[in-house]
Amino acid sequence: MSELINKVSQFFSSGIIDLFIGYKKGRLGEGKPAFFTKPEQLNELIFDENCIVNLAVYLRKPELKKYSKIGVLANFGTLRALLQLAAENQIADGQYLILTVADGKVLEFANLKAIEEYVANNLPKPNPERIAFLKEIESKSREERWEFWTRELASCIRCYACRAACPLCYCEQCLVECNQPQWVGVPPTGMGNLEWHIVRAMHLAGRCIGCGECEAACPMEIPIGFLTQKLNMAIISNFGQVPGTKLEPDYALSTFKVDDKENFIR
Amino acid sequence: MARIGVFVCHCGENISSTVDCAKVAEIASNYPGVVYSIDYKYMCSDPGQNLIKEAIQKHKLTGVVVAACSPRMHEPTFRKATAEAGLNPYLCEMANLREHCSWVHYREDTTTEKAAELVRVLVEKVKHNEELYPIKVPITKTALVIGGGIGGIQAALDIANSGHKVIMVEKNPSIGGKMAQLSETFPTLDCSQCILTPRMVEVAQHPNITLYTYAEIESVDGFIGNFKVTIRQKAKSVDHKACTGCGLCIEKCPIKKIPDEFNAGLGNRAAIYVPFPQAVPNKPVIDRNNCTYFLKGKCGLCKKVCPADAIHYEQEDELIKVDVGAIVAATGFDIKHSDFFPEYGYGKYPDVIDGLQFERLASASGPTLGVLKRPSDGKEPESIVFIACAGSRDPAKGIPYCSKICCMYTAKHAMLFKHKNHHGKATVFYMDIRAGGKMYDEFVRRAIEEDDVNYIRGRVSRIYEKNGKLIVCGVDTLLNSRPVEIEADMVVLATAAIANSDSEELAQKLHISYDPYHFFSEAHPKLRPVETNTAGIMLAGACQAPKDIPDTVSQASGTAAKVVALFSQDELTREPLIAYVNNNTCVGCFLCQSVCPYLAIEKEEIRRRDGTLVKTVAKINPGLCQGCGTCVALCRSKSIDIHGYTNRQIYAEVSALFNRREYAGV
Repeated sequence: MSELINKVSQFFSSGIIDLFIGYKKGRLGEGKPAFFTKPEQLNELIFDENCIVNLAVYLRKPELKKYSKIGVLANFGTLRALLQLAAENQIADGQYLILTVADGKVLEFANLKAIEEYVANNLPKPNPERIAFLKEIESKSREERWEFWTRELASCIRCYACRAACPLCYCEQCLVECNQPQWVGVPPTGMGNLEWHIVRAMHLAGRCIGCGECEAACPMEIPIGFLTQKLNMAIISNFGQVPGTKLEPDYALSTFKVDDKENFIR
Repeated sequence: MARIGVFVCHCGENISSTVDCAKVAEIASNYPGVVYSIDYKYMCSDPGQNLIKEAIQKHKLTGVVVAACSPRMHEPTFRKATAEAGLNPYLCEMANLREHCSWVHYREDTTTEKAAELVRVLVEKVKHNEELYPIKVPITKTALVIGGGIGGIQAALDIANSGHKVIMVEKNPSIGGKMAQLSETFPTLDCSQCILTPRMVEVAQHPNITLYTYAEIESVDGFIGNFKVTIRQKAKSVDHKACTGCGLCIEKCPIKKIPDEFNAGLGNRAAIYVPFPQAVPNKPVIDRNNCTYFLKGKCGLCKKVCPADAIHYEQEDELIKVDVGAIVAATGFDIKHSDFFPEYGYGKYPDVIDGLQFERLASASGPTLGVLKRPSDGKEPESIVFIACAGSRDPAKGIPYCSKICCMYTAKHAMLFKHKNHHGKATVFYMDIRAGGKMYDEFVRRAIEEDDVNYIRGRVSRIYEKNGKLIVCGVDTLLNSRPVEIEADMVVLATAAIANSDSEELAQKLHISYDPYHFFSEAHPKLRPVETNTAGIMLAGACQAPKDIPDTVSQASGTAAKVVALFSQDELTREPLIAYVNNNTCVGCFLCQSVCPYLAIEKEEIRRRDGTLVKTVAKINPGLCQGCGTCVALCRSKSIDIHGYTNRQIYAEVSALFNRREYAGV
């Protein structure tokens, strides 16, 4: 940890950064996002397996605009979010100083290309427990699945914490806030909830990097991450496009390849 | 408050035979916002249009719904009438009661009810319509003609003679195309080259035409009036400015056994060559795939003998960028070649040839100087069998269409043979004789009656060789399907006309559509046969479908008329029904850019007055956008919308259908 703190404080003292986004210890032992503006605050900086919050979500917040250069301590989800944001023109090369810790060593990425290589070499396998749960839902009949999701989504209180936590939900005006026309019903009732979660899942189809922040943020513990995970699995198996791994846009809904399988059109 | 007028048309009996139009008008009068509603027998007629104009002024209408035929038919008519009454034309909408209702249903109460619902949907839409104004875009008054066959030549000359600049691109070393290869032409039997070559020379000498031969289209960007085209000038290895066309290099070139494309493989040419003696330009190019210098790095004989020092081996492909306002695709066609007809022994028996090869044998400029000699041993044939529909109209061969030209050229071939060999025996196997055209049937009758060509209606099943003769086994369906066997010295297959092998690639570069056989698609099979669905790109000749010379030339002139009409204006007026971006909500993810089939989405930087960048957003190029709406569907923040079909309008239409109320006791 001292290596990390030393390095970051050097960045501060040499004027390379004026804000560093990392983690400090939370009340329950979790890694809590922390914003460091002075080197003397850095003794609180930590990085361990409990630091799971995706820090990329803060980069597009207007409050950070006043900082000239920002450093980010990125976990793997954050790195993938950065790549996806770059592919979607939201961040530029060299705009941020990106660090991670791998095998106890601090890694500084020279550019986004380096992140692309790092991500390609370290892509984890999908969590078997989640896959098993998805298989279980898939094995149900249409009616049972409908019943499952309407029941789960009925408890949604439409706090939009899932949206706020998602590093890729960066629209300045979300579709649910549009009332001319009113695409999605506002009250947290059956149909409106269903509409919101379908819209959210479809907007993340082929873009979701699977960091799990939406599900972690949900106060009602709705397993919404499975909606995007299922869509992404279909995209990966049909088109081989893995979100958050490429710097260039490679979006299933907007690309056409001559060798695309078309077996889903019946 | 909206003040909508509803005008229900009977379309003669087209609508009123199954829909109670008066009832629809009555029901519509109860819809919220409708202040006037009436039915009339022919709304598109002058009195019908006057009804609309008068109502707009008398009732101070803010929107008009004409419930009549397809908007494709009469939307311009009614929008014009609306404008003449002082209302913005885009406040007029059409409900399609004909195609969407009366034509597809029986006369029942529910048919009238559906018609009333269609009107209600449009009433809800028109409440959200906005005033729109046509878009103006400048026009570059230069045309690009792709292909230097007779179609391209005619189009280029017509456009150039109207005073506009033309750039012609031909992929072969000479212009002239397929017509230059033909011997004589039906139905007058005049020499093909004699009527074509003066036109070729005219193209080369025309002050308004810039000719690029041995060149191909690399890329096409832009839009009607403003295309940006990159032409790949393939390296000729010969400086055509210095070359005098003396031909010494061709004479000295040691590689002389290359199958000659111009002679359909029946003759040979050198590695440095001019395709044919009347070629335009009449200067050689080096075929680098066959030249010893380029294959092995030595030889250089042509360079040594050239008195003008015009041979430049180091020449490279050159990319030439040009701006044009309109594009004419006149890339022609090809014919099916070898191994497509194993049952006819094609490729196995050298004396089974295709129609183009026969043209070369019969041509005075051909490898036999016009004497019909069969390819195997050079003997003059005494009996020739001609097989029409070889491949064409044969779904089993994958070519269900008629190649159109074969009936006529087969009759011509048989006639040419009989004219050269009066005692020869000419037999034609045919399915049907399709000789529609001025003097065409007379021409075929002449072959049968005056030149004694034996026409047998039936298909040929097999050809085999016996004692140096080709035995053609067929059937005569007019004689009780009796099997027939004809001995022949030579067999000519009228093979199917097909699209060029690279036509799909070119269509994709031009962003024009093509049919399953890779012929380019016209915008409308009857009413817009020379335009494509991509504005500013026109079609001439057999690249659209198999065609003979008169049809190609007429279409080429039609194309030229379209180009000249376009160039007659300084600015182009376009329908404003295109996409636009809401800069406030656009987050600039540019996923819309990758999905736009017309490459109409650009980046726009939003800056403060002091020049600092606020953000980069998407911007729609109004000249390019075709209003297809794909970007609208993809935009997550709903920052893109289409004028005339806004999300609000569509949403209002759909909501209207869901929120049904009883407006009358139907």
